[in-house]
Amino acid sequence: MKSIVILSLLFVLVAGSVSWSAGRDLFVAKCGECHKKGGSAVVINPADKAAVVWKKYFKRRRHPVDFSSSISDGQLEEILKYLEEHAADSDQPAEAVIPK
Amino acid sequence: MKVRIKIFLLSAFFLMVPGMLQASGQTVTLPVEDYRAILQRLDALQQRVDRLEKEKVETRKLSKDIDEIYDTLDKVETKTIEDKLNIGAELRTRMDNFKVRDHRNMITGKEEDLSNDNFWSNRFRLNLSAKVIKGLDFHGRLTVYKNWADSDRYVMYSDPNRAHVPDDTTLKLDRAYIDWVLPHSPVPVALTIGRHPSTEGPPLEFKENRKRQSTYPALLFDGEADGIVMTFGLERYLGLKNSGLRLAYGKGYQSDDDKDIYLDERGGIDDLDVFAAFFETELPRIPGSLLVLSYVRGDNFVDTPLGATRNLGDMDLFGIHVQATNVVDSGLDLFLSWGLNNSHPNGKFAYMSVGKDPSGQAINAPMGLLSSDGEHDRTGWAIYAGLRYTLPMALLNNPKLGFEFNHGSKYWFSFTQGSTEIFNKLASRGDVYDFYYIQPVNRYLFLRTGYTWIDYDYSGSGWHIGQPFRIDDKFSDFYVLIDCRF
Repeated sequence: MKSIVILSLLFVLVAGSVSWSAGRDLFVAKCGECHKKGGSAVVINPADKAAVVWKKYFKRRRHPVDFSSSISDGQLEEILKYLEEHAADSDQPAEAVIPK
Repeated sequence: MKVRIKIFLLSAFFLMVPGMLQASGQTVTLPVEDYRAILQRLDALQQRVDRLEKEKVETRKLSKDIDEIYDTLDKVETKTIEDKLNIGAELRTRMDNFKVRDHRNMITGKEEDLSNDNFWSNRFRLNLSAKVIKGLDFHGRLTVYKNWADSDRYVMYSDPNRAHVPDDTTLKLDRAYIDWVLPHSPVPVALTIGRHPSTEGPPLEFKENRKRQSTYPALLFDGEADGIVMTFGLERYLGLKNSGLRLAYGKGYQSDDDKDIYLDERGGIDDLDVFAAFFETELPRIPGSLLVLSYVRGDNFVDTPLGATRNLGDMDLFGIHVQATNVVDSGLDLFLSWGLNNSHPNGKFAYMSVGKDPSGQAINAPMGLLSSDGEHDRTGWAIYAGLRYTLPMALLNNPKLGFEFNHGSKYWFSFTQGSTEIFNKLASRGDVYDFYYIQPVNRYLFLRTGYTWIDYDYSGSGWHIGQPFRIDDKFSDFYVLIDCRF
């Protein structure tokens, strides 16, 4: 009985800890417009880089093309959040959201 | 840019003027010197244009190189972050010179002395750690601990001491666990799951010359243990630095069927379930201090984990541990630990062998929980105190001197089967005096030499079964060890 109580408690805590980001669709729509198979830029996915590397990438404004007219600051934040949550070192790395 | 415009305008001027003049039918006559000067000027300007064009190309190339370096760095950094496992190692070689005096031989009934003037052992540990993701850490330790040239096995080799008693050269799983901070919990909560860091707890880090190794005070719990621990961070609620509450669940014995891999054999023996709660905090206004209040409950103790035949009852353990490091910057570390155990036998006992008579026949004695008949509640207690002083001698790498004392009463028992002390001194029912000197050689290497004296008052130290009886054994050990960690 004690074991069942402990396991149940554990399950509730674990279930409560699972989360997901809404940035996936934004990433696919905005970034995937160019970064797709046969597109004008190479295919990219969140798991291509570690979370901290993604963060630094955008902080240093390293994207070679100015996308400010198509992606707002708020959208970029949402995309970056998604990239970090599914980066190579995250617990749910996304390797092929955009097909390779 | 300005230079380029000037060059352009000047060049245009010189190109256009003759044409314009010619078009209007006029001729310009220039002195040769002026004409040459103009040509030289033009030549210099052309060179400048060429140089700027070259620089422009080089700048473009440099920018491309920087982009490539960044891309490479991205890959290296990502790979480094993904390479999660860190490996460290420890090696300890130890020589003991020990003597047991007035030890009662169970076969002859006479008291005798035993000694060994140079007893050698090696201990190797492989330490593993990984920061899997934010809030999820892994730790592991694999150990080989062996006496030199020892081919037989320690008689009480069991689950809590696999990596802490000398054995063969196979790696033993000392600890392997994850610490997982639950990300969306309203109260800071961490789960520790696996084979736990439950050995060499406070204050053993002083004598072991290292950081704290376990969450549990050594006097109460010092053994390898599989389990689940939930830690609640309370600092923000209590205002006490590093305060937290740990709730632990594990097993001291789990009934299984050795024929069918793991299934419960249903032999009528209940598992020994262990529940525990530990509250710890740093003491106000004493930086680096630690206070731990402990409660451990063991339900359904069995007669022996090596072939259990029946359950004998339950036991409660209570503990208070307090320690402080570098008190008022004096170099002095102090600790005081107290423990109490209270048994609740179920009236059952088992006959167990305690030796052989002169004819070779086994001597069996009734063994209940801390008694022979299993009919009486027993209370035991222990105290453990000590200090360590770091000598301010920089030329000698600041060596350390330590002294420890502990006393256990007639019925003292706690979970110290995995003690790193080779004679499980904290389980002693009697007095223990322990002196040591630590000589650091460098950051990774130190020597320790020490002397331990144990004066036993009662039999059965470290055992939860049987009625303790008066003994007069005395044990002394002089040792020296060299320890390397990196």
